[in-house]
Amino acid sequence: MENQTFYYDNKIVKNFAYATLFWGVIGMVVGLLLALQFIWPALTFGIPYTTFGRIRPIHTNAVIFAFVGNGMFTGIYYSLQRLCKARMFNDLLSKINFWGWQLIIVLAAVSFAGGMTTGKEYAELEWPIDLLVAVIWLVFGANMIGTIIKRRTQHIYVAIWFYIATFVTITVLHVVNSLAIPVSLFKSYPIYAGVQDALVQWWYGHNAVAFFLTTPFLGLMYYYLPKAANRPIYSYRLSIVHFWALIFLYIWAGPHHLLYSALPGWAQSLGVVFSVMLIAPSWGGMVNGLLTLRGAWDRVREDPVLKFMVVAVTAYGMSTFEGPMMSTKTVNAISHFTDWTVGHAHIGALGWNGFLTFAVLYYLIPRMFQTQLFSRKMANLHFWIGTLGIIFYAVPLYWGAITQASMWKEFTADGFLKYPNFLETVTQLQPMYATRAIGGALYIVGILLGLYNLILTIRAGKFLPEEAASAPALTRVEGKRGSGEGIHRWLERRPVQFILVALVAILIGGLIEIVPLYLVKTNIPTIASVKPYTPLELQGRDIYVREGCYTCHSQQVRPFRSETERYGEYAKAGEYVYDHPFQWGSKRNGPDLSREGVVSGRQYKPNSWHYNHMMNPQRLNEQSIMPVYKWLIYDDLDISTTPRKIRVMQFLGVPYPQGYDKIANDDLMIQARGIADDLKSQGIQVEPTKEIIAMIAYLQRLGKDVHAAGMPTATITGK
Amino acid sequence: MLRDVFKSIGGIENYGLISMIIFVFFFALLILHTFSLKRKDVDDFSRMPLDDVSKESDDIQDI
Repeated sequence: MENQTFYYDNKIVKNFAYATLFWGVIGMVVGLLLALQFIWPALTFGIPYTTFGRIRPIHTNAVIFAFVGNGMFTGIYYSLQRLCKARMFNDLLSKINFWGWQLIIVLAAVSFAGGMTTGKEYAELEWPIDLLVAVIWLVFGANMIGTIIKRRTQHIYVAIWFYIATFVTITVLHVVNSLAIPVSLFKSYPIYAGVQDALVQWWYGHNAVAFFLTTPFLGLMYYYLPKAANRPIYSYRLSIVHFWALIFLYIWAGPHHLLYSALPGWAQSLGVVFSVMLIAPSWGGMVNGLLTLRGAWDRVREDPVLKFMVVAVTAYGMSTFEGPMMSTKTVNAISHFTDWTVGHAHIGALGWNGFLTFAVLYYLIPRMFQTQLFSRKMANLHFWIGTLGIIFYAVPLYWGAITQASMWKEFTADGFLKYPNFLETVTQLQPMYATRAIGGALYIVGILLGLYNLILTIRAGKFLPEEAASAPALTRVEGKRGSGEGIHRWLERRPVQFILVALVAILIGGLIEIVPLYLVKTNIPTIASVKPYTPLELQGRDIYVREGCYTCHSQQVRPFRSETERYGEYAKAGEYVYDHPFQWGSKRNGPDLSREGVVSGRQYKPNSWHYNHMMNPQRLNEQSIMPVYKWLIYDDLDISTTPRKIRVMQFLGVPYPQGYDKIANDDLMIQARGIADDLKSQGIQVEPTKEIIAMIAYLQRLGKDVHAAGMPTATITGK
Repeated sequence: MLRDVFKSIGGIENYGLISMIIFVFFFALLILHTFSLKRKDVDDFSRMPLDDVSKESDDIQDI
């Protein structure tokens, strides 16, 4: 058949590559600022826009969706065209994908700094930006699927299967987890509450790791590793099993983020079982990647692209061993809420995603600019500094995690907590936090070296925007299976059917876990004493969400003696039924707050303490790493939103009386005056209309309802 | 109807076991299936990334 000449679109690849480098630097620098705030909390500069709770989502979103996301698009747009022997389906869609994605990133950064957040980790974007994400993601999907359909190769290579799974699953995850009812343009409440919200959120959160940080990068591995090593993939058979096992199993594993929580035990067990089984396909992929280098290991010594790839795949292997290990209840009892999780996440982000992204950039930028890499030595230096950075980042955090968890759990011979003051367990970690910051700084130095090297490469070369290629047109083949053609062989040339089967594979786990939690009432036992928040508490809760308090404080006491002794009654599913969104948190840089309002409890503090603490935490305790929140004291509470908030809550099933929205602000002011009067009696003059009053009201409510139920403090395990 | 079905489910704790059985059964079949693939096809597919050399990039050396 006659060859057709066509042109690969390198311009879109170049744009995404530039964006990857730009956002990589931004995201990592914000991360370094966060790391330094652990050592010098004054580095928030006393202003709202740079507090830990607000810029932590900027860091995570910048690294995940801006750096890694643009890196993913770079790699996919380059490899997809070549694997399909076709230009991208539509140049306009490519441009919309690129500019739309950058707009989302900018809007995300601005809105997070402004305190506009849903309060759900890695899904913090408010509803208008969520809608934009959905549109741009569908544009990407349409462009990708269109390219696959107009391809000039009969067979769809394994890398593309992973790209397909990425598109399909992220679409489902994003839509389901983002369902919310708007209160205003920048505020919404999720349709889910409490335990259900937690399950949906971590089903999303875990699978965002799986299908945004893992599957697309496995696709990139299956393309770029053979290219860089000039070797075929080690085992195509293994890649088939790897793909289906991975996408089928991954979707079930979300509940391992909620072990020992109020989530029903059966859902926790499902999460553990499938997380442990995930080792098999994950390591299957890692082995397939590393064995592709058979006969080419001598080149790893010289070639920085292969060096980055080998460490990336090894980091993938490490984190996919560590992940299942952390999912077992025994290890999770130690690792959860500590820096272990942060260390684990950064082995994946810096090692697997970061290094594979740089391998891809070092591979394709010289090719698109028709030149050699400016300096191989500089790339090697980048590699070694980056590797050292990862080690200096992760090791102290593992050390710190075990130190802190041990301190949380240690009792004296007389049966009292040895370290009852939470702050002691934070102060102990300061050397580890300092070393972690050095590790992060080293990684950034590596990136800057890489950036410089690539800029010099670009300047030395000549960009080829339209790369000519030729291939025969795709012969139309009967849609039905040919004689002797296996099911999978047939599926590998039928993109639409492939998408549908992948969709079924990823839906099974989600449906089996999530649907029963909604429909079987016994999964969420109600507690009669749990009442809706008062209007002032609701406003205070929204400030708590706005400031990202959940990034440092949990609201979930696990059923361990060490936790019930420290905080009080362990968490029950029924106490969260009005929490839109849930605020359980995933990390304790400060103590758990879910029993903060129990007057007879161990965590209780008077109103004046909260006021002074927000004003200047270091005045109450010099070693505190809590940032100041002075603006809560000076800023007026916007009570014009109260009626709308009440109405949305009513719509979501919160049992406020009919017509309560009209009188809610009256109740709000009565409660606010009560707190202001109490503060006045302690010598603190503050208007009842200030935000601090609402925040205090919310904190003083936490745990009261469960305590009112008269539940005895119980200890489930001896841990 | 769906709601009634789910409400009447007993032994929801067996989900994990059932899921594992489905997984093991399905993927045992998948593994067997991969061994039925023709060797030539498998070799060709595994070389696909190496077959996409465009006109210009022929001359570009590895870094």
